Amino acid sequence: MGERDNEAFEVRSRALFHDSVDGLDMRIRSRLTQARSAALAAAHLRRPWHFGWKVWTPAAGVTAAAILGAALWINSPISHQSAVLADQSSLEDLDLVAASDEGSADAMEMLQDDIDFYAFADKAANSGPAA
Amino acid sequence: MARFDTLNSAWMVWDNPAPAPEGAVLEYTRELEKFLADIERRAFRVAQVALRDPDDALDVVQDAMLKLTRSYASRPSAEWRPLFYRILENGIRDLQRRRTVRKRVMAWLPGPKEDPDNEAQDPLENVADSSPAIPEKLMQAQAMQQLEESLRALPARQREAFMLRNFEGMDVAETASAMACSEGSVKTHYSRAVHALREQLGEVW
Repeated sequence: MGERDNEAFEVRSRALFHDSVDGLDMRIRSRLTQARSAALAAAHLRRPWHFGWKVWTPAAGVTAAAILGAALWINSPISHQSAVLADQSSLEDLDLVAASDEGSADAMEMLQDDIDFYAFADKAANSGPAA
Repeated sequence: MARFDTLNSAWMVWDNPAPAPEGAVLEYTRELEKFLADIERRAFRVAQVALRDPDDALDVVQDAMLKLTRSYASRPSAEWRPLFYRILENGIRDLQRRRTVRKRVMAWLPGPKEDPDNEAQDPLENVADSSPAIPEKLMQAQAMQQLEESLRALPARQREAFMLRNFEGMDVAETASAMACSEGSVKTHYSRAVHALREQLGEVW
């Protein structure tokens, strides 16, 4: 069995195999086409991650919008204005508390009256049988 | 990335993104379809030579297609063929193992014995065709049948090496990749397969 005989054998067996492939019946061909379609449909359902951009778009959108919103808010004049306004309002509260107009003087007098009343009631309760 | 003059222009681009990824997916799917369409019939015949039963052969080819598209489609297309045949050969081996187990179990059970290798054989295959118009075709079919029988009698690795190198036309490196072995092993398996086949088929074949 020489090399040349081997070569002839290889050529013949290859030709027979390809003839048998060409002679496949329609039922087999049709089922192979169906199998191919099913496999490609499965590939579409399960793409590599870098092709699934539609999946990542909403999440990326929300994140980008949040970052953009925060950046704009920090740099915007409105945020500075509101900070100034906040400082102003807290000063006004202090002014209100510290104010010493007529109304607040009345309130202090009423508070003093209440204290006097509670002292009297306590003394009365501890002084013996009721009148 | 481009800078935007206004927030509005940024929103317009955001609402209508460039179609490049979808185009890339289409291109990749088309390439995969072309590859599978080119290989499927030969792969079926390779599986049928090993398994004999056409339905089993169709099953393993379909499984190999699914596994390739699901797990390896993102690999470079030059790697698809050896990967596909590696998956196919693993599927063939799994099915042959299951058959062996089934045969052993069936041998212990009472009742008529089932031989899965013979059940799928069409009785008409054994009827001689008397048509004188196609003697050449008939001789070729008989020669191929003899070759298939001899291939089934070979050790699995020799059969794989012969079919991938000779039938599928793979080079030694591709065959080594498909068989997950060294190139030296491929050469040895192939050489032994050719000698064994020639001895079995005789000089007249």
